[in-house]
Amino acid sequence: MDIHDEEIKEFIEIFASLSTYNFSDYSEKSFRRRMEKIVNDNNCSLSDIIKKAKNNTTFLEKIVRDITVNTTELFRDPKVWLEIQKEIIPKLKELDTINLWHAGCSSGQELYSMLMFMNENGLLEKTRTIGTDINTEILEEAAKGNYKYRFNVEYLPNFDQVLNVIQEKEKIPYSKYMDIDQSKDSIKIKPFLLNKAEFLKHDLVKDKNVFGRKFDFIICRNVLIYFNNNLQNKIFDMFWDNLNEGGFLVIGLHESIMGSTSAKFIKKGQCYIKKSANG
Amino acid sequence: MTNKAIVIGGSAGSFKIVMKIISLLPKKIDIPIFICLHRLRSARKGFAETLQINSSIKIIEPTDKEIIESNNIYIAPANYHMYILQNGRIGLSIEEELNHSRPSIDLTFITAAEYYKENLLGIILSGANDDGADGFKKIKRNNGKTIAQDPQECEVSVMPLSCIKNNSTDKILTIKEIIKEIQFFISFNI
Repeated sequence: MDIHDEEIKEFIEIFASLSTYNFSDYSEKSFRRRMEKIVNDNNCSLSDIIKKAKNNTTFLEKIVRDITVNTTELFRDPKVWLEIQKEIIPKLKELDTINLWHAGCSSGQELYSMLMFMNENGLLEKTRTIGTDINTEILEEAAKGNYKYRFNVEYLPNFDQVLNVIQEKEKIPYSKYMDIDQSKDSIKIKPFLLNKAEFLKHDLVKDKNVFGRKFDFIICRNVLIYFNNNLQNKIFDMFWDNLNEGGFLVIGLHESIMGSTSAKFIKKGQCYIKKSANG
Repeated sequence: MTNKAIVIGGSAGSFKIVMKIISLLPKKIDIPIFICLHRLRSARKGFAETLQINSSIKIIEPTDKEIIESNNIYIAPANYHMYILQNGRIGLSIEEELNHSRPSIDLTFITAAEYYKENLLGIILSGANDDGADGFKKIKRNNGKTIAQDPQECEVSVMPLSCIKNNSTDKILTIKEIIKEIQFFISFNI
């Protein structure tokens, strides 16, 4: 049952040679658990998986998808949104266009939450949004914005805890942004939000800025926790490079920028603000 | 200084017991303690704050890749698995639940056993499923010590019972006795 460290090492090496995917800087314990899950789901040894992936690209891609963890929620951690309202929104209001990058957006619930949030702040029109993920299948799901009611209903209260707290006019109904049909087990994001989002495949491990523009606001929550310190620091540097001066980065509630990169940002609650290159 | 630690697991009902254990710890423990309790998804906040009221030791819901310090108590954050990494840091993840729980006690126990080996004391408290039993086995395989709360004393005994049934429990003790064992483990230099 136990997977040997050597097998995992071999898996990483073979996948690096067969594809563009490099897992060598993934965080060891959670990566091991991904391996265990893949072995259990496929009911065979890791060596068998490696053999099969060598001759079958479709299978290899499927395994890569199974390695990535897809979790996203509508208005995850309302407290963080209220901080964004306080620290970030006033600055974004001063800009002519807002370039937003949601890195590791998974199926997109949080990205659409951000668009709703922008709309309530009167900023949707001038916001250009890119959502990226390593997993192309999940991006197709994100582009559709059609979710299972039963998996998302528990997060609907977060909608109220954010959108109906930042403004005190009349109560905003879910129907402003979503068509909810419990009998069909569906929550559909309204087309005017779907149209505002662009989705691209991007691998944080190796891809730099492939967008031809810098960003005012990068959101990357609970994605870097799957990487080791070294890789985390590299990606934080990459984010810094891709932010406009004074731009913002928001990461997960239990994530933080460690090491030397942290000196290049000012931290306010959960919000990181890019300092200029010369301090 | 030896690199030793204590891991404690239980379900939400064990919260009061944990609070009692923490309140009776010496002011300086010189080792880290990791606590992994099943908790309600809705109750995301307030755990650490409540425990802190009765303790002068720092109680932390860690950040991913935080360096483990010897005089701290770390509580697995709600909705995250908490791993002990081989480089002496804490890793978090929001992968699938294990044993219907995130945090999973097994994942914390197993990775703590891999890092602290024979210098680990594992304690399983009252709880409603068998999360922790595989972790206890791993602690034993790595020559650590294990204590299960006396099932007769537990509100829900499934958790300690499953650790006793798989023969991975060294001692079955009441809370009063467990507190003494912890104090002994802390003061005893291996």
